[in-house]
Amino acid sequence: MAPLVTFDRATLGYGRRAVLTDISFEIPEGDFLGLVGPNGAGKTTILRALLGSLEPLSGTVTRAPTLRFGYVPQRDQVDYNFPLKVLDVVMMGRYDRIGLGRRPTNDDRRRAHEALDHVGIDRLADRPLADLSGGQKQRTLIARALVGEPNVLVLDEPTNGMDLVATTQILGLVRELHERDGLTVLMVSHALNEVANYVERIALVVEGGFRIGTTDEIMTEQALSQMYGIPVEVDSFDGHRIVVARRPTSEATANHV
Amino acid sequence: MFSTVLLFREALYGALVIALACSVLGVYVVLRRIVFVGAALAQISSAGIALALWLAGLGLTLGGEAEPTVVSLLLTLVAVLFFASGTRGRIPPDATIGITYSVAAAVGILLIAKAASGEAHDIFLSGNILGITRRNTLVLLAVTVPVLVLHAVFYKELLFVSFDRETARTLGYNVRGWDLLLYLTLGVVIASAMQFAGVMLVFNFLVLPAVTGLLLSHTMRGVFFWSVVSGLVAAFAGFSLSVPFDLPSGSAISAASGVMVILAWFGRRIVARS
Repeated sequence: MAPLVTFDRATLGYGRRAVLTDISFEIPEGDFLGLVGPNGAGKTTILRALLGSLEPLSGTVTRAPTLRFGYVPQRDQVDYNFPLKVLDVVMMGRYDRIGLGRRPTNDDRRRAHEALDHVGIDRLADRPLADLSGGQKQRTLIARALVGEPNVLVLDEPTNGMDLVATTQILGLVRELHERDGLTVLMVSHALNEVANYVERIALVVEGGFRIGTTDEIMTEQALSQMYGIPVEVDSFDGHRIVVARRPTSEATANHV
Repeated sequence: MFSTVLLFREALYGALVIALACSVLGVYVVLRRIVFVGAALAQISSAGIALALWLAGLGLTLGGEAEPTVVSLLLTLVAVLFFASGTRGRIPPDATIGITYSVAAAVGILLIAKAASGEAHDIFLSGNILGITRRNTLVLLAVTVPVLVLHAVFYKELLFVSFDRETARTLGYNVRGWDLLLYLTLGVVIASAMQFAGVMLVFNFLVLPAVTGLLLSHTMRGVFFWSVVSGLVAAFAGFSLSVPFDLPSGSAISAASGVMVILAWFGRRIVARS
């Protein structure tokens, strides 16, 4: 089966400035991919190229003709001053299907309620969006992405600024959408430790460097040390992998000074 | 007292139409945080009227009483294209608005200073609400009705790109195109209202009724409703008080609009406590 998205030797950047050079990878159907890296490394650049709002400087980014993204923006990207109910926001995910100048039908409303039910917050449908907690807002945005019946769910930093409980719940929900519904998922995050224990593949972006592989391939001390340029340790705790930077020895510190 | 108001009823109808158009568009102006784009467009629009009057003073006129509005409209639409086209390199967006506002105000005053006709001094402040004729009202309606129909038909598109442009873009929306439509309707309404309402009142109507609406409702429908109601009430009350007390109508309406915001603010607090 043809992949949903193919980056073929794509160089990405703005104007003449290349942020990432010559990257190639595919997102096949059924993938659960984490796009991970520190802020400013180029995650958003890859994301924009993937979504089609940024043309590659060279090379190609090809999307399957049937591709439909369910995009979940960062929570602070939407404006909570708008007097919108949760259901109104979810409905936006169907606006393009409803068509230009047309109003949502009862069927659209039913689907919006189903999407909210799917993420476990249908009881909040009539509440103002602004009144919700961070996790509930995130679920609303996920429901909006789902209601458009996408074949790829794209989440941008879905756990940013959340506490441990909300983070675990949101990541659990995303994994459930992948496993139960067979949805292809791309999750963008700066938190390797959070994402690594949920996704099946990782694309790591660090200061112009790009590496992609299965979680087992990427989560090795050798691969990570090479990418980050410092000695890194991968520990396992209760089945979860945790990445820590090795504390510099006094000798190494002395050399740096 | 009311009989005096009736004497000027054509002007009142005109003021109500201006209130209606501006208070609907104002909801987007406030929610999108482009309040000062509204102010800059109003200032440019007034500079357009000043330009027409200055040209008329030089004998450069095509004739017709609509000429100031036409010149103002053209200048405003150029500004609309400028604002809707997005960022401008190293100059921050709000600084761009500041520059436009300040230059438009200065140029407008300079042109008026050299215009032969003295009647136009008011456009920068209180406008000339009492000068509205039936014909003017019909022109205002001819602009307002299509604008409101466009906004009703494309409500969900304009809402989506205003609320979350990035997601709208992933669903194939031409975000810039919809922005342009919004700005164009804004420009057309501002330019057609400017000659009568003046900068102060147009700016007031683009901001205060929408704020009143946001204080009184949690839904878009409710915000539009209360915005329009408070705009119309302010226009009616301000106008009705200005005529018998011989006050400038534009300023009286602006002040009434301010009272509406204060009432809404107290109303909201009272409801929240009970």
